[in-house]
Amino acid sequence: MAVARRAAPGHALLYVPGDGFLYRLNPLTKLTLVLWVAVAAFMLPTAGTWAIALFAFVTGVLAGAGKVFARRLLFTLAPLAVALFVVHGLLVDHGGRETWGPLDISHDGLAYMVRIIGRIAALLSGSLVFVTTTHPARLLKALDSHGFSPGLAYVIASPLLLLEPFSARARAIREAQAARGLDLDGNIPARLRAFPALLMPLVTLALADIDHRAQVLDGRGFRACPRRTVLDAPADSDGQKWFRRLLIATIPLVIAGRLLWL
Amino acid sequence: MKLETRTLVLIAAAIVINVVVGQLAVWVKLPLYVDAIGTVLVAILAGPWAGAITGILTNLIWGLISDPVAAAFFPVSLVIGLVAGFLARLGWFRSIGMTVAAGVVIGILSTIVAVPIIVYMFGGVTGAGTDFATAYLLAVGQELINSVAVANLGTNLVDKIVTCVIAWIIVKRLPQRFSSGFAFFGYSKAQ
Amino acid sequence: MALISVEHLVFAYESDGPAILDGLSFEIEAGERLAILGGNGSGKSTLAQWIAGWLPRGTHKAAAGSVLVQGRPWSEVPVRERTELVQFVGQLPMQQLSGFAFTVWDEVVFGPGNLALPAEEVRRRAEEVIAICHLDHLRDRDPFSLSGGEQQRLSIAAALAMKPQALVLDEPTGNFDPESRDALLTQMAGLPRDLTTIWCDVALLPPMALATRFLLLDEGRIVLDGDAATLLAHPRTREIFGLPAVAEAALQLREQGLLPAEGPLPATLEQALPLFGGLAVEGHR
Repeated sequence: MAVARRAAPGHALLYVPGDGFLYRLNPLTKLTLVLWVAVAAFMLPTAGTWAIALFAFVTGVLAGAGKVFARRLLFTLAPLAVALFVVHGLLVDHGGRETWGPLDISHDGLAYMVRIIGRIAALLSGSLVFVTTTHPARLLKALDSHGFSPGLAYVIASPLLLLEPFSARARAIREAQAARGLDLDGNIPARLRAFPALLMPLVTLALADIDHRAQVLDGRGFRACPRRTVLDAPADSDGQKWFRRLLIATIPLVIAGRLLWL
Repeated sequence: MKLETRTLVLIAAAIVINVVVGQLAVWVKLPLYVDAIGTVLVAILAGPWAGAITGILTNLIWGLISDPVAAAFFPVSLVIGLVAGFLARLGWFRSIGMTVAAGVVIGILSTIVAVPIIVYMFGGVTGAGTDFATAYLLAVGQELINSVAVANLGTNLVDKIVTCVIAWIIVKRLPQRFSSGFAFFGYSKAQ
Repeated sequence: MALISVEHLVFAYESDGPAILDGLSFEIEAGERLAILGGNGSGKSTLAQWIAGWLPRGTHKAAAGSVLVQGRPWSEVPVRERTELVQFVGQLPMQQLSGFAFTVWDEVVFGPGNLALPAEEVRRRAEEVIAICHLDHLRDRDPFSLSGGEQQRLSIAAALAMKPQALVLDEPTGNFDPESRDALLTQMAGLPRDLTTIWCDVALLPPMALATRFLLLDEGRIVLDGDAATLLAHPRTREIFGLPAVAEAALQLREQGLLPAEGPLPATLEQALPLFGGLAVEGHR
C-alpha cells in the first residue's frame, strides 16, 4: 500500500466492544452511511468535510472509542499534514504567496492542504465509526441474512480469524531464526537475505492444508444449497431499510449539487 | 462466476500471507511493501479474477484491522491481481527472466493507478519516504503529478519485481500434488 | 446392503507412482465400530478418505475397483446427501475448523445452516452435540483460541451436527498428551449408539477401547480382519505396534512355557488376571 504504515497492525480488530445506539444499528445501515460519507467527503466543500469529520469524531468519543479515534487520526493525519504543508504550502505553484520569516508560503496552498486533510479526516472518521462499533462477525451475519454470497463472506471472515494465529507463528519463526544467528538489524543486503528465511516457513504453513480445509468445508455442505439458515442475525427494521434507501437516493443529488455549484 | 471451494481457501490463505509478510517487511525494516505476494501467487495459480479478488479484499481487511484509509488503494491491488493473472495466462511466469519482466510491467501499471489516488485523494503525498523524492522533484521545477509518479515509480518497480520473483520461487517449490489441483497453473509450468 | 462397500480398490496419487491401496475389499455395515490400523505409509489415511468420500476428487481416481456407499459410487452422490452419509475428522485440529465462525457456537451451527434447515432444527442439533462433546462452557470462545484437544472435540461436534450415518476419524488423538487423549475417549463413548464409527490409527490402544472389529493394513493390503483377540495374535501386529503391556507379558510367559500356548492373548488387565492368577514362578535370575 502506498500510504505509510507507521507501525505493524496489532491484529486486534479496531472493534471496541460496547453497547450503545450505534452498536444496535444494523451493520448494513452503518455500511451505507460509510458509503454516503465517502461520497460526501469528495463532493462537499471544505467546511462540509470538516463538519462531517468533527461529527464522526464526537460520535466515536461518545461511543467509547475515543482512544482509537485519536490514535488513528493522529498517526494518519500528522505525517500527511506535514508533507502537504511542504508540498502545497511551499513548493507547488499556488497563488496568494506571502513571506513568513524565511518561508515563502502560499495561502491557496494552505487552503488546499486544509481541504485535503478535511477530506481524509472525514473519510477516516466515518470509516472508524463503522469499524469500531461493528464486530466482523455481526457484519457477516447481516450480509448472510440478506443473501450475500457465502463464498465472499468466507473469504472475508477466514483471514480475519487466521491472522492472529498466523502472526503468532510469524513471531515464533522470527525468534527461532534470530536465535540461530539471523541478522535482522544489519545493512540492507543482509536484511534482504534474511527476509526469505523468515518468509518461506510462513508461506509453506499457510498453503499446507488448503486441500484439506476445502474438503472440510464441502463436507459441511458449504454452498451446497442456494440459501443458508442464519441464526441470531442482527436485527433490522423497516425504518432502517428506508433510511438506507434514502441515503443511497441522496448520493446522486450530492454529486449533482457539487457539479452544479462549483 | 462461482469459484471452487479450494480456490476460496487459497484466496483466504493468500490474504493472510499478504498481511503477515507485509508486516514482516516492516519488522525487518525493508524499504519495500511486499504486501502483494499472495495476490500474485493466486493470480498464477487461479487466474486474474481470483487474483483481483485477493488484492481487493486484502485492502479491505487491512482497513478493518488497521488503517481504513489505506483501503482506498484497493484499485492498485486489483490491477496487480488482474495484470499478474493475464501475464500468467500468456506464460510470463514460466521462467525467472520473464517473471522479472512481469514485475516491471506490474510495477509500472500499478504506479499509473496509484498516482491519481495519491494526487486527487491525498494531495500528492503518502506520508512515507517517497514524499522526500516528491518534494525534491517539485523543488527543481517538476509538475506535481510527474513528481509523484517518478518518486513512487522507483520504489514500486523494485517492490513489484521482488514480489513477482518471490511468488515465482514459491510456486516452483510447491509440491506437485498441490499445484496440479489448479488447472490455471498449467500456463506457468516450464515447457 | 452394506453401508460402505470397498471392492478391489487400487489407488495411487500419481498415475505412475506406487499403489497406495493395492486391491482392498471389505464391507462396513451400518452400526459397526470398526478400527483400521496401520503404520505410517500403510495407506490408512488414504483409505479413510475413500470411505468418507473425500476421494475420488479432481484428477485423483481409482486405478481399479471402487467404493460404493449404499450401493452407489461416491461420484453419483450429490453433495448435500454426502454430508448426511459420512463425516470425516482428521488429525490436525486447526485444519478441521471452517474458518467461518468466530465462536464455538457458530462453528457448530455452520454445517446445519448450510443445509438451509429450519432455525429450530439447527438450534436443536447444536445444543445436542455441544452436550455430547462437553463444549457448553466454551460456547462463546474463538475456535482458534482453544487448545488442540478442545478444537478436536469441536470438530467432532461439528461433524455430528450434520447427523451423519458414519463418522470416520483419522488419528484423532494424534498429537495429544495422555490426559487429553483419555478425555476424548470418554467423549467417544458418549456417541450415538447407531453411529457407524471408523477409527483409523497408528497406535493400538485408543481404538481398542471402542472398536469391535479390526482391519490391519500393511503396505496397502488388508492383512487381518477380525476381532481384538485375532488382532493381538497376529505377528505383524506386534511388529508394527508393539503389544499392550499385558498382552506382551502374556506372550513372553507363553514363550517361557508358563502359560498355555493356545487361547487368545489378553488385551486388558481384567482379561489377564485369570491367566496370571494361577502362575507359579520359581526364583529367576
